[in-house]
Amino acid sequence: MLGKYFRELSVAAVLVVLLLVLAIAAPAFFDAQPLFSRLARDTPTLVAACGMTLVILCRQIDISIGSQFAVCGVCAGMLAAGKAPVFVVCGAPLLIGAALGAINGALVAGLRLPSIVVTLATMVIAREGLRWAQQGAFINLPDGLQWFGLAQRSGQCALIAFALLLLAAMAWAMRHLAGGRFVYAVGSDAEAARLAGLRPQLTTFLVFVLMGALTGLAALMNLAQSPQVDPKSGTGLELKAIAAAVVGGVAVSGGRGRLWGVFAGVLLLACINPALTYLHVEAYWEKAIQGAIILLAVVADGMRSRKAREA
Amino acid sequence: MSSPLKHWKAALFRHETILLAVLLAEWFYFDSVGRRFGTLDNTFDILRHSSEIGLLALVMTPIMLTGGIDLSVGSLLGLCAILFGKLWRDAHFSPGLAAACTLGIGAIAGGLNAGLITRLRLPPLIVTLGTYSLFRGLAEAITHGVDTFTDFPASFLALGQERLGGLPTQAWFFFAVAIAIWLLVHRTTFGRALRAIGYAPEGARYAGLPVERRLASAYILAGVVAALAAIIYTARLGQAKADAGTGYELFAITAVVLGGTSIFGGAGTVHGTLLGVATIAVLSNGLVHARQPREVAGMLTGALLLFALASGEISKRLAKFRARRHAPNPAVPVPAPHSQ
Amino acid sequence: MKQFLPFFLLLGLALGPGCQKQSEQSDSAGGKKLTIALMPKSKGNAYFISCKAGADEAVKEVGADLIFDGPTEPDPAKQNEIVENWITLGVDVIAVACENKEGISTALKKAKAKGIKIVTFDSDANPDARDFFVNQATPEGIAEALMDEAARLTGEEGEFAIITASLTAANMNEWRKHIEARLHEKYPKMKLVDTKPCDDLKDKAQTEATNLLSANPNLKLIMAICSPAVPGAAEAVKQAGKTGAVKVIGLGLPSENRKYVHEGVTQSVILWKTTDLGYLTIKVAADLAGGKLKPGDTVYHAGRLGDLEVKGDSIILGKPFIFNNENIDQFDF
Repeated sequence: MLGKYFRELSVAAVLVVLLLVLAIAAPAFFDAQPLFSRLARDTPTLVAACGMTLVILCRQIDISIGSQFAVCGVCAGMLAAGKAPVFVVCGAPLLIGAALGAINGALVAGLRLPSIVVTLATMVIAREGLRWAQQGAFINLPDGLQWFGLAQRSGQCALIAFALLLLAAMAWAMRHLAGGRFVYAVGSDAEAARLAGLRPQLTTFLVFVLMGALTGLAALMNLAQSPQVDPKSGTGLELKAIAAAVVGGVAVSGGRGRLWGVFAGVLLLACINPALTYLHVEAYWEKAIQGAIILLAVVADGMRSRKAREA
Repeated sequence: MSSPLKHWKAALFRHETILLAVLLAEWFYFDSVGRRFGTLDNTFDILRHSSEIGLLALVMTPIMLTGGIDLSVGSLLGLCAILFGKLWRDAHFSPGLAAACTLGIGAIAGGLNAGLITRLRLPPLIVTLGTYSLFRGLAEAITHGVDTFTDFPASFLALGQERLGGLPTQAWFFFAVAIAIWLLVHRTTFGRALRAIGYAPEGARYAGLPVERRLASAYILAGVVAALAAIIYTARLGQAKADAGTGYELFAITAVVLGGTSIFGGAGTVHGTLLGVATIAVLSNGLVHARQPREVAGMLTGALLLFALASGEISKRLAKFRARRHAPNPAVPVPAPHSQ
Repeated sequence: MKQFLPFFLLLGLALGPGCQKQSEQSDSAGGKKLTIALMPKSKGNAYFISCKAGADEAVKEVGADLIFDGPTEPDPAKQNEIVENWITLGVDVIAVACENKEGISTALKKAKAKGIKIVTFDSDANPDARDFFVNQATPEGIAEALMDEAARLTGEEGEFAIITASLTAANMNEWRKHIEARLHEKYPKMKLVDTKPCDDLKDKAQTEATNLLSANPNLKLIMAICSPAVPGAAEAVKQAGKTGAVKVIGLGLPSENRKYVHEGVTQSVILWKTTDLGYLTIKVAADLAGGKLKPGDTVYHAGRLGDLEVKGDSIILGKPFIFNNENIDQFDF
């Protein structure tokens, strides 16, 4: 079992080492309030990374989720500022996200266009369109929307619990539901899956729709944490989600990867930035360290499969 | 009978012609709307502004022909720019010597990508995603984010800002690289090998092609050309900063795909890439003359990319449909659409 | 022929708005209308949108044509490219807020050589690349206002941290330089413990502030010098339950910070009347092109702003303005 889950366990091991270092050198890292705050703020990234895992498992990629996130957030914010009922404010970002994901999915699955270029195009169109419309203005949300009306700590706990439940549900579904197995099958070998009676194009399309919906959910979870909407929020989300998935052991060639590995990846990458602050390391090392971790993870993968090939 | 192959070739040929038609349509439209659009000055502006991205797109073409990709070229531009500045200002090299060293550094960086991709057989997308962060991060770390390099000598700045023999100076470098890469891809066995690797990597290996060496050369070349682009960029701007070239890799990929190169590898032309670069550059420049906000340029470029992809795919399907109609004999196999 | 259809659709898309524009476009070479080209540091920035509001007012007053454009991407070369496009377009005046001092000077010098008048506002270029600089406050003035306010609120001793936009942002680095100079010169008992970039994102600023608060338990003040960071830091302080214990000041818009100022989380927001800045910039641009303003003038009559001092080649709008609980409701930008 150790060999089978070696990849995911190694990420978890690195994370544990980092946390130990912090526990010794900067115990303030584990203070309750900032810890909960950080975890709550990372829940949108976790949700997005879950969706991205499915996309990568299908051998596709989606670099437009950052712009989708911004569009969903701004729309939900405008609805909220316009005094729309709460269920509309909550449902709209999911629907809008799903619609944007459906566009990607239709182009990738329907027209068989390469996902990296399609999502590059939709990313640019969404981002520029939003910028044109919004011109960078913040949206002030009405009182009472923050934390969905709960107290701050309860709200943070609720968000964290929700994200973990979602992760667990998706992990279970990937293993035990036929749909989840389909995703793995389509990613390993689409042609074989088709011959086996699955419908790879439909699966791919639905995966993109789900990715969009999850992005909208992430935007909603972000919106609930602050009294204002920044139209620039979500910048870099796709990089974070892809990096977390890759570090967490999801293979870009499709068909291999586990959600709880991605969970470890999200935590690890989310710890770098605060770790720098707590260890009083200069901020300008952040990107270099992030890039190094991604490369190390990928190299580890490569060396392992090289050994497997030579064996 | 090469009837399906002829249709395949015909489809590709049509793509570049269509792109040329779009480019001409853009040109005539903007010429009619913008008073100063069709002038020589403006054409030189377009050349100057698209030289660096054009270089990156040119060198991305052989890589994408192999079915790979290099997301790190923009970050490498930034890293090379500040290293160039550092060598010139702090190590007191002459601009020429600093430039030569920078090209070497570009080759080494490209070599890092090449090594990870060919030795460890890692997917280029993820490797270059990692080096995309790493290179930019190194640039920020070396300069602490804040350091910039300026006050270059006028003789160096002439590379980016003055004219040589009637054209902007950097245009000569751009054309030279364009011709070199065109010859490399279309007239050498090296180029043919790249195409073969993209079309069927295992088949190429069995055919005896030195796959790893060819791939490695493509990525190292990308590093060198990115360094050249960095030097030209610094000369044009008169300043070297760690965030130079941010976002350039996406422009380059857009231009290459627009030009008809398949992202799965095996098909594509350098002249297509040049047309792609020109189309985007003219669109961006023309919209300024048409007094449209900058965001429209971005949106139209994205839409153009989708249209180009969709129409390419639709024409391929039409060709396949026609091929099947012409060869109903089951003994004649119809090639499946090339996909991963 | 079906594959031509999408491309003709695209042409139609491009032609549509263009045909409308043609009737509006005025010919500035033959006619008397001045064409002023205004460039912010980047589009999609609420600060510059409020400057533009003032600029629009002035443009109506002077009867000129305004082109407003700016980079939408973070690449430093974008401002240069836009300026070069404007040179070809043949505008009369270029008014620009400079992202990279030396970089933009390259392009501005070319414009100057072609006879285009150059005005900089908000952040300057090299002095030989422009005719006048509309100065709402010098970088030293801004830094001093921030540092002095920080000192006032902390009793001139204690730790504080800065949140900036990005480590490469030229004007912020200029301010940081002067802040640290002022710190060493006048407030030796204060200590700057950390400087964090927020990439111009409110969410990231909030996360950074949360970490700073926890990693530096003796922190007494957060200075947010990039405008999305001010509400971001305030929210972090509020969520940490440290309202009042850790002060928040910064450079930001009143509209984004009103709530936090009223709640006592943010003590001071320093800025200037951005609409006035935009208004003044256009007035200067128009009068420069029209010959009413010349190098060597010591006083400039700026329309509804009255007479302003001209120091060499800088026109001073005034000192930075401090928005706080008493006055923030009077402004709606």
